[in-house]
Amino acid sequence: MVHIPDGILPPPVWIAGFGVTALATGLTLRQINHTSDPYEQIPKASLMTAAFFVGSALYLPLGPTSIHLLLNGMMGIILGLYSLPAILVGLIFQAIIVGHGGLTTLGINGVILGLPALLARPVFLLYRRFPQSYGIRWSMGAMAFLASALTTALTVLIFFLLLISSLDQRLDVVAEQQAILVLSLSHLPLLLVEGLVAAFLVVFLHKVRPELLEDPS
Amino acid sequence: MRWELDRYSHLDSPLHHWDPRAKVVGLAGLMVAFAALERLSLVGPMVVTAGLIYGLSRLPISYLAQRLRYPGLLILSLVVMLPLVSGETVLWHWGWLALRQEGLERMVLVICRFVSILTLSFVLLGTTPFVTLLRSLRSLGLPALMADMMMLSYRYLFEVGDTLATMRQAMKLRGFQLYRHQQGWVWPNLAAVAHVSALLGTLLLRSYDRSEQVYKAMKLRGYGQPVGSRGVKTWPDPWSCLGVGLALVWGVGFVALEYLWL
Repeated sequence: MVHIPDGILPPPVWIAGFGVTALATGLTLRQINHTSDPYEQIPKASLMTAAFFVGSALYLPLGPTSIHLLLNGMMGIILGLYSLPAILVGLIFQAIIVGHGGLTTLGINGVILGLPALLARPVFLLYRRFPQSYGIRWSMGAMAFLASALTTALTVLIFFLLLISSLDQRLDVVAEQQAILVLSLSHLPLLLVEGLVAAFLVVFLHKVRPELLEDPS
Repeated sequence: MRWELDRYSHLDSPLHHWDPRAKVVGLAGLMVAFAALERLSLVGPMVVTAGLIYGLSRLPISYLAQRLRYPGLLILSLVVMLPLVSGETVLWHWGWLALRQEGLERMVLVICRFVSILTLSFVLLGTTPFVTLLRSLRSLGLPALMADMMMLSYRYLFEVGDTLATMRQAMKLRGFQLYRHQQGWVWPNLAAVAHVSALLGTLLLRSYDRSEQVYKAMKLRGYGQPVGSRGVKTWPDPWSCLGVGLALVWGVGFVALEYLWL
């Protein structure tokens, strides 16, 4: 739903999107390659990509409609630096298999979904600063909620900002700003759902397989 | 769950015989040129070019229609309001409802650009086996880490999809219905969220266990060790070079007309 399809954006926007995503991916891969065994996490990242791709097909009913999960915040929490290449791979599959997004908009969709995901793990790791009296599960759950909701909020905001400002330059500026605000606010339930799913998931994983939440890079 | 990307890659057409690396460069060049077009007068030649290439590929029309259905509806929902809200030249009005020329032109441009780019991407995917395409991308400079992730993710998409379908069926057989909970308008039902999270968590655990086994097996077979050339280093045949040259000249021609045509 927050994927921009082919042909909708003017050239400067999607070209800039490719530039930003290529730069960010290059820097991320460079950091990954500096780890002791950069290939060790690839099978895990790939299988997680497949699991998240399939999992994003799950939907939750809300009011008269339903929402599909984005899960980029959760990918960021689990995969850390690997989340950007993993999301790019997921975006390619979404474009060629189900028609979400597109190939010429891969860069800009990487900016929308991939860059905010890089913030998720640092935000999630703030749980370590919680006093021990709060209990590890509560602090982990709270920070997973915050990390995922923040990632989703940034994703939605960048998406509508880019989409509405690029769709037609002749649109009224005030109307454009109001539309961005209204559309972003209408996605508040999505923030809640993404945050709650991440919180439940992190608590569940901590209980049954805590090594999944260890630093992948 | 099955996504048959390679269903038509066995057909016999000039596009199927085009060297995959040359095809990636040629068609990607054309897609980029199409995405750069803003002039309505170039929309016709763009659509005709995409149509001719699709015709040359001998892919069935049903394939294109089937693949365009979902993204087509999505793009329509995004641009359908443009003729009503964008522009000043009113072509027709009924009360407060007005059809504006500039918005209409913008809508036509966006839809045609979208259909043309998608048509070319379906030609690329429909005429090249996915593994060959990936190998070509690798030889064109895709980082090894990304290529490996794409290959493994593709390999496991089907298995993970089947696992999820099995898990959902097992839940259903035990009398559990995921979407029967009473929903609020803003605040989601916590029980439903918890159940989806548990489903997703179990899926992740099973995938993680599998990934550990896969990594150990791959490591035993030498994965991660330095290797020599992994890509095809030979030049494409002359016809493929001619094809990529033609495609790029055609694409540059479109861009030149877009920016130099006064």
